Amino acid sequence: MNTQKQNFKTMKTNYLNLNFMKTTKVFASALLCLTLFTSCSDDDDNPTEVLEEELITNVTLTFTNNANAEDVVVLSSVAPDGQDGESTENVTGSFTTGATYALTLGLAAEDEDVLNEDIIPEADEHFFVYAVNGINLTMTRDNDDEMGPDENKLGVKTTWIAGESSTGNLQISLIHEPETVDDSNGFGSATGGSEDINITFTGVTIN
Amino acid sequence: MKYYLLAILYCVINIANSQQNCTHILSGNVHDFHDGSPMSGATIYIETFNTYTTTSINGDFTINNLCNGTVTLVVSHIGCKTKRVDIQVNSNTSYEINMEHHTEALNEVQINSNGTTRLTRTAQETQLKTKALERFSAFSLGDALNQISGVSSINTGSTIIKPIINGLHSSRITTITNGVRLQDQEWGIEHAPSVDINAADQISVVKGSASLAYGGDAIGGIIITRPANPVLKDTLYGKTIFGGSSNGKGFNVNTRINKNYESGWFSQLQASYKKNGDFKAPDYNLTNTGLNAKALSARFGKKLFESGFEVYYSFLDNEIGILGASHVGSAFDLERAINSGTPVLVKDFSYKINEPKQDITHHLLKGSYFKRFKKFGKVNLQYDYQNNQRFEFDVRIGDRRLIPAVDLKLQTHSLLADVKLDANLNRKINFGIMTRYQNNFANPNTGVRRLIPDYDKYDFGTYSTIQMRLHSDLIVDAGLRYDFNRIDAKKFYRKSRWRERGYNTDFSNIIIKETPTQFLTNPIFNYHNISVSTGLNYSFYKNHKIIVNYSLTSRPPNASELFSDGLHHSASRFEIGDIRFNKEVSNRASLSYAYSQSKFNFLVETFYNRLNNFIYLRPLDFIKTIRGPFALWEYQQTNAELFGLDFTSTYHFNDSLLWQNKTAFIKGYDLNTNLPLIDIPAFNTENEIVYNNAAWFDFSASLKSDWIFEQNEYPNFNFDIENRLNGEMITIDISSPPPAYHVLHFYSEATFGLGKHTHLNVGLGVNNIFNTSYRNYLNRLRFFADDLGRNITLQLTLNY
Repeated sequence: MNTQKQNFKTMKTNYLNLNFMKTTKVFASALLCLTLFTSCSDDDDNPTEVLEEELITNVTLTFTNNANAEDVVVLSSVAPDGQDGESTENVTGSFTTGATYALTLGLAAEDEDVLNEDIIPEADEHFFVYAVNGINLTMTRDNDDEMGPDENKLGVKTTWIAGESSTGNLQISLIHEPETVDDSNGFGSATGGSEDINITFTGVTIN
Repeated sequence: MKYYLLAILYCVINIANSQQNCTHILSGNVHDFHDGSPMSGATIYIETFNTYTTTSINGDFTINNLCNGTVTLVVSHIGCKTKRVDIQVNSNTSYEINMEHHTEALNEVQINSNGTTRLTRTAQETQLKTKALERFSAFSLGDALNQISGVSSINTGSTIIKPIINGLHSSRITTITNGVRLQDQEWGIEHAPSVDINAADQISVVKGSASLAYGGDAIGGIIITRPANPVLKDTLYGKTIFGGSSNGKGFNVNTRINKNYESGWFSQLQASYKKNGDFKAPDYNLTNTGLNAKALSARFGKKLFESGFEVYYSFLDNEIGILGASHVGSAFDLERAINSGTPVLVKDFSYKINEPKQDITHHLLKGSYFKRFKKFGKVNLQYDYQNNQRFEFDVRIGDRRLIPAVDLKLQTHSLLADVKLDANLNRKINFGIMTRYQNNFANPNTGVRRLIPDYDKYDFGTYSTIQMRLHSDLIVDAGLRYDFNRIDAKKFYRKSRWRERGYNTDFSNIIIKETPTQFLTNPIFNYHNISVSTGLNYSFYKNHKIIVNYSLTSRPPNASELFSDGLHHSASRFEIGDIRFNKEVSNRASLSYAYSQSKFNFLVETFYNRLNNFIYLRPLDFIKTIRGPFALWEYQQTNAELFGLDFTSTYHFNDSLLWQNKTAFIKGYDLNTNLPLIDIPAFNTENEIVYNNAAWFDFSASLKSDWIFEQNEYPNFNFDIENRLNGEMITIDISSPPPAYHVLHFYSEATFGLGKHTHLNVGLGVNNIFNTSYRNYLNRLRFFADDLGRNITLQLTLNY
């Protein structure tokens, strides 16, 4: 009398057990996979070192007297860790009152020439702005200067005139993707964008 | 002798059979599947005879005068799923019928008096249902959760919306999608959850960590999204949503198709696509704020009451433009952006997404199986795999603009087993274990030093919770959880940073390799965490309810807090982590009081959260770089407290008009410095009047007012930097919150029947009706631009 019920129950249980076993297998293999993944990543592969590519490590402004190639003023900024590390500035030489200087710019990432390889090819997105305080320096952008945004001169070829004896500060900034730029006064001005460099040299002298 | 008797019996039966004697008796018994208790008063419809009988107090029933053959019974009982059984009768037969609680089967969790499903009975939990979620089809998870009192968001623009629960966010919030804990680099403040809101049918938000089954480190809260439950019916149905919005010229499509079978098999396919161009603030375009989002989810399985399985896969690809004006260089740039009042970069509308931008893809694969055992409970097993790929593109020079500055791949495997003992519905016990392995790979080809190092992470957790109904009006629960976390990282430190942090004295033993400028280190950290939660839920005088909860939670520091070391664009700051950090420990007590009556109901939720070793970022120093000065923000550990009050109330003037208010008040303090905590939501109150008329195509219209006060308690982290050109000191005001603002929104909808099972819902909304200019303290781009102006949205939802 009870056999039917019993049979039914057993069948049902069997079916469920089968199902359960199947699932157990699936999970067992999943676990195995997990272990495999874990062990794969456990080998001794160390990550490779990233050397910052974008770093501008050296910015050098070399002013050369047009009348006397021996009269040179060098302003240099060195940041061994690149853009996200501490920088140190150094000034050598002094300007001579009344003299006219040509400025040669150097922007380098270790031994890579950032100015000629990256900035000048994308001159329409960059603009150099200069500023002085306390020192009688005036400047103009040369006729053969590279063309920057909106027919404005980029500011890599410039001529500087030293006035009365004075000591003060000189600032150079490079604006990336500025909104508006104006080169009408040689120092230049810009709005918007972000500064790729902004360095102030203090204690620059005209004798 | 036995055999002899059996033989006789056999003969008798055979004789009976051959005579087609309709004298068999079917005696049966109806039981509750869960606890095996007899079910009295169950109705039994004998389909074969078209007659009825009911079960006795012991759950017994008897049917006489049956012939050989099949008897079909339809058994029903209040609160149970009606069951149909075919019984083969060739003799006097006894049969046992197990009934299941219909509602239990559907929801796996308790049902409260309002018919909403709840995870726990003593947590501060709020739910958003399909209807509430559909309105946010074109938006994000964070936007939808903003509807909840006490939940706000920390935003980066208008498309990266990170939920804040009671003042806490990022790693302090656990997000569960379809049972899987989301692993999507959630430590980042501008990393929005990789969840497509269209894949969810229901979302629960638990304030605090009262739900221990999901993790012991959710100091802020837990967000649980669930897909629709399959119905046991042969049916095919679907839903398609089309939407458009004026601001950003956006459009979105979402479609979902479900096929279900009475046999328990089910399948669902869902896909969505969203796109918008540059958004607009009242006075200008927000250049480069476009979004291009694709998502897909598919699931199939078999779900019966006693057992079932599910295979689920979801994919998401979000390309998100970040406001162009937010790309700044030095602190001087930041100061200019803050003081100019308008974004420095404004261009004509475009759908194009330029740098800076994010491109995130997230794959999730899950397999789960459950089985219920009679008079025992339910066993659930689950495996899931997630693959999160995050690219962040910065404004870079030359060919490098095509190379992401951040390229992180996070892969996670989890294995879970969970047992729910519900044989005794008055004492439910839940326990389980979790194991997880995670690998983070930071691609070195970015040419930018890694923001987060390569690491392997191992997690193990085990928990047990118990819920007891001591009285029909009183429920208490308690839970205990233990977690072990191990992080094994390989990180490069620049030698200068290594020494500056003083790691050379404490951690010289973890250096495994040295290069000319960097050390490769192998930090391995183990954390042991104990979490506890306990509470009670007491209803009294019919309309009143009190919920009390206490929980202790620990969170190990995340990869960013430990290892961050680099420039964060758009914040114009360096962020530096600390490998000396201990785990963060939270003690949170909460008390809720709810009053409900037919016309008026309200809910007050209060909490006090004391956090030991709370980790936060603050500016501490400067660094003079070749790009100008930058602020140095360092992660700090302190003791902190947060407390607040969330208030929700509804008043029904009549059947068609109601008023609703949601108000949240929160304070947070650093107990070591006595400063207020940063990024704490200001007092805000939301009032809404809703008119609806069911007779007129289920029409409803609502007017909502959002009033956000000015945050008057904030830490003053402003700093001065020297303009070395002229020696002037310039103050960078990064702390002052924007003024209070008030915006009005309108929404209306109506539903039109297009056929027996087809109806169309048309929704028209206007956000920021008066095109008010405002900035939100919790928008990280508030320094650069106003928030969104007026936005008119139209949405068509077709259910079929």
